[in-house]
Amino acid sequence: MIRKLLIANRGEIAVRIIRACREMGIETVAVYSEADRESLHAQLADEAICIGPGPSAESYLNMERIMSATMVSGADAIHPGFGFLSENAKFAAFCEQCGVTFVGPDSEVIRNLGNKQIARNTMAAAGVPVIPGTDHPVEDVETGRQDAMKIGYPVIIKAALGGGGKGMRTAYQPEEFDLAFQTAQKEARMAFGDGTMYIEHYVEHPRHIEFQILADSRGNVIHLGERDCSIQRNHQKMIEESPSAAVSPALRERMGMAAVKAAKAAHYVNAGTIEFLLEKDERFYFMEMNTRIQVEHPVTEWVTGIDLVKEQILIASGEPLSIRQEDVNIRGHAIECRINAENPEKNFRPCPGTITDLHLPGGQGIRVDTDIYPGYTIPPYYDSMAAKLIVHGETREEAIAKMQSALGELIIEGIDTNVDYQFEIINDPDYQAGNFDIEFLSSFRQK
Amino acid sequence: MKFQHMFKRTVKEPPKSPVFERPEIPDGLLKKCNACKSAVFVEEVKKNNYICPHCRNYFRVHARRRVEMIADRDSFEEWDSEVVSGNPLKFRGYEDKLAALQEKTGLPEAILTGKALIEGLPAVLGICDGRFLMASMGEAVGEKITRAVERATEERLPVILYACSGGARMQEGIVSLMQMAKTAAAIKRHSDAGLLFISVLTDPTTGGVTASFAMLGDIILAEPGALIGFAGPRVIEQTIGQKLPKGFQRAEFLLEHGFIDGIVEREQQRETLALLVKMHQPVSGKRNLLTGEDQDALWENSFGQELPFTEMDAWEHVQLARDKERPVGTDYIERLFTDFVEMHGDRCYGDDRAVTGGVALFNGNPVTVIVQEKGHGTKENITHNFGMVSPEGYRKSLRLMKQAEKFGRPVICFVDTPGAFCGLEAEERGQGEAIARNLYEMSNLKVPILSIVIGEGGSGGALALAVADEVWMMEHAIYSILSPEGFASILWKDSKKAMEAARVMRLTAWDLKKLGIIEQVIREEVRLSAENMEPVVRKLQTGIRAFLKKYQSLDTAALTERRYTRFRNM
Repeated sequence: MIRKLLIANRGEIAVRIIRACREMGIETVAVYSEADRESLHAQLADEAICIGPGPSAESYLNMERIMSATMVSGADAIHPGFGFLSENAKFAAFCEQCGVTFVGPDSEVIRNLGNKQIARNTMAAAGVPVIPGTDHPVEDVETGRQDAMKIGYPVIIKAALGGGGKGMRTAYQPEEFDLAFQTAQKEARMAFGDGTMYIEHYVEHPRHIEFQILADSRGNVIHLGERDCSIQRNHQKMIEESPSAAVSPALRERMGMAAVKAAKAAHYVNAGTIEFLLEKDERFYFMEMNTRIQVEHPVTEWVTGIDLVKEQILIASGEPLSIRQEDVNIRGHAIECRINAENPEKNFRPCPGTITDLHLPGGQGIRVDTDIYPGYTIPPYYDSMAAKLIVHGETREEAIAKMQSALGELIIEGIDTNVDYQFEIINDPDYQAGNFDIEFLSSFRQK
Repeated sequence: MKFQHMFKRTVKEPPKSPVFERPEIPDGLLKKCNACKSAVFVEEVKKNNYICPHCRNYFRVHARRRVEMIADRDSFEEWDSEVVSGNPLKFRGYEDKLAALQEKTGLPEAILTGKALIEGLPAVLGICDGRFLMASMGEAVGEKITRAVERATEERLPVILYACSGGARMQEGIVSLMQMAKTAAAIKRHSDAGLLFISVLTDPTTGGVTASFAMLGDIILAEPGALIGFAGPRVIEQTIGQKLPKGFQRAEFLLEHGFIDGIVEREQQRETLALLVKMHQPVSGKRNLLTGEDQDALWENSFGQELPFTEMDAWEHVQLARDKERPVGTDYIERLFTDFVEMHGDRCYGDDRAVTGGVALFNGNPVTVIVQEKGHGTKENITHNFGMVSPEGYRKSLRLMKQAEKFGRPVICFVDTPGAFCGLEAEERGQGEAIARNLYEMSNLKVPILSIVIGEGGSGGALALAVADEVWMMEHAIYSILSPEGFASILWKDSKKAMEAARVMRLTAWDLKKLGIIEQVIREEVRLSAENMEPVVRKLQTGIRAFLKKYQSLDTAALTERRYTRFRNM
């Protein structure tokens, strides 16, 4: 069993991990940058070690310094949290070389899943659905047309050397294909000097549905249902919930099985997340696998009653899973809103600064995961997420009502936040009706 | 940390378990960077040419690894590995020490010598290994270098020595001292045979090694930040009782003080060495770069017949010659030549930025190019001292011309100076002597010299780069005894009469052509700038080809005689 855990992270997730350890009787070591001397995680841990200046590259991303801190403190394990070094295969390998338990999968697994091509091939080979597309370069319109038929419309035509949306066209029907292909190829030749194209099924108005899995070192893999993370801005998730209004019990069964298959195919051990794109007709495609704890893990914790961080630590200590798939019951509905120190009126510009006043909501079914406190100064170097507000109700309606109430009660003074923006989303009739996809926020305020 | 002592701990007593294995970082996984003090992955450092990934500090490189970094794969053939020190002073414990080091490093002595290919071109390599008694030079090191250089002379090969040394080897006393003379003598013979020696100075190069082979390269390169000096900084500090300034005796300091040609990052070393070796490949017989071309046709093409020149007041010529937009020396280098490798320093005092010089390829053939450089814009003007050359600039140019003579390549100079730098420091270091020395040596230099006045040809400062077989001028360049302002001030005690002075001084290209001072005028059709100089560059290209064809075909005696007569008749 892990005796002393070093948390290679900061902010609310570091606090979250320390809390789990406090419950489990595991000693904790926090690492912090010079900009984080006043941070809660450094104060709450049993020990705290400064690992360098504010910029992440010199502190939370500096693996040599973090490992030195591990050695000095005598910790036998490292929890990487999310972001920073959490999905860095080199860091995981470094831990392995030093005999330190890395709370996460093996470095090799991280490396393979971090490589889009390898991950896609592994999943396709295991029978996990991937977005259909050409596996060979397409040079001419005739070949392309045949490929597109096989793939299924709509299709997106992309330049092999592409980027920035150049040389990219969508064809919704076979009649549109030739023109779309020719335009895209012409653009590609102009922009990249190369007309090699790829064709892929175009997933229209998908929802972002991800499955939480747990896998132990004995080969047991279970899934803990899904999270719907379709409410996102520029690929940044803002609201997550479980279960999804778009997933029926039968679909959950199918997707959950695919997620378990995916984890097994990757020889995955520990907590992980399989991200899918879900199309309107219930077709779904593997996107990627996240090899770490997620920001939005609390919604899963609440509907399943399983503490994911504790499970991570137990798995890393070599313990078998204590729950079987049939023991997993999704109960009620949970929603999480990310509260960020940013100004939605100024294009979501980050607003670090000092919290002058703070009132956090509470009561039945309300959870706040945060590291801020009155008088705390949010440093400018890191992610702007300041808190996560999570609610749980018997039904989605009740959860939404709780979230409305809680957001309305949440007061953070001294910095700009997105609380009002979140409040608007929660009040939106389409959101409340469960009628949204990943494009929801891109047109939100224009409605 | 206001809550820290208020939070209650939950771990009652740390669990004790005697079998608990404390994790540790395995040996050899990390190493410490002495510059930024951070721990770095050994693997990453290796992959990164032994440069710290955090601060770019250079780690020392073992000799065999260095060979891998610069030589073609598997091309290295080691020489004289049997040469080891014989303990000439019978120094107690020395033999045991050597044996231990041989065991540890796998090297018989502190230097590895042999022959290798660099991008396919053969060269003799000598590489010091600092692990071995700080690569100090005892009899074995001296002997191995001498043998390698001698064999290079015999086989007519270039020599590249990577120096890294604490200096003489104390355990071998006076015998070690003699190695300095021995290696220097071998290099002298190698040089007299017309062969190339490139010295690469790495951290640290000090003492008797600096004071012998390391400083004798035709071309001396250094790694960034390398400590290079004769007396070590600690010794100097103790002797003079003062703290030395930051950066003292570092490669950058030496560059500024004129002792090295350039600083080359490790990533570029192999490429740079290959290019330099290629540029110094011995040629058999006369260069015949222009076979099949009719020389007269070339002249015709480049300059055409005497076109009626542009009617223009002399003062307008002066203003055009000084035009801010006018192309400067490096603009010509960039457009006329390829693979220019700049060489810095006069090997005496400094590196004058008013002169830019080096080796480049013209139509694939090596030439020495020297320009008086003004730069564009105020900032660059200041860096280059507005093209006003200091004594160290002339000494640098002469050093490069002598180098061209040694390797039998022509010299092409671009003249653009208001005049030699007029200042206290210039006089202290012998401005007059430096100019005179150039006139003296250039008169008899055994390779063709072409000088092209591209802007201002101010007085002796210009002449010091214009004792040439031919002097050409751009149409709106000027060349005169001194500036019109100076002329007016001396003759008429009024520098404001510069315009009148310009009219009587006969300083325009057409005037000078008529006077027989110059050979060619290159027409400028437009107000010349770096953007529109292509037509002029094309004319110069054909012109230079014709010049080289004509003068490279002359034998040395005829060439120097012709140059002598050229000035004798003026």
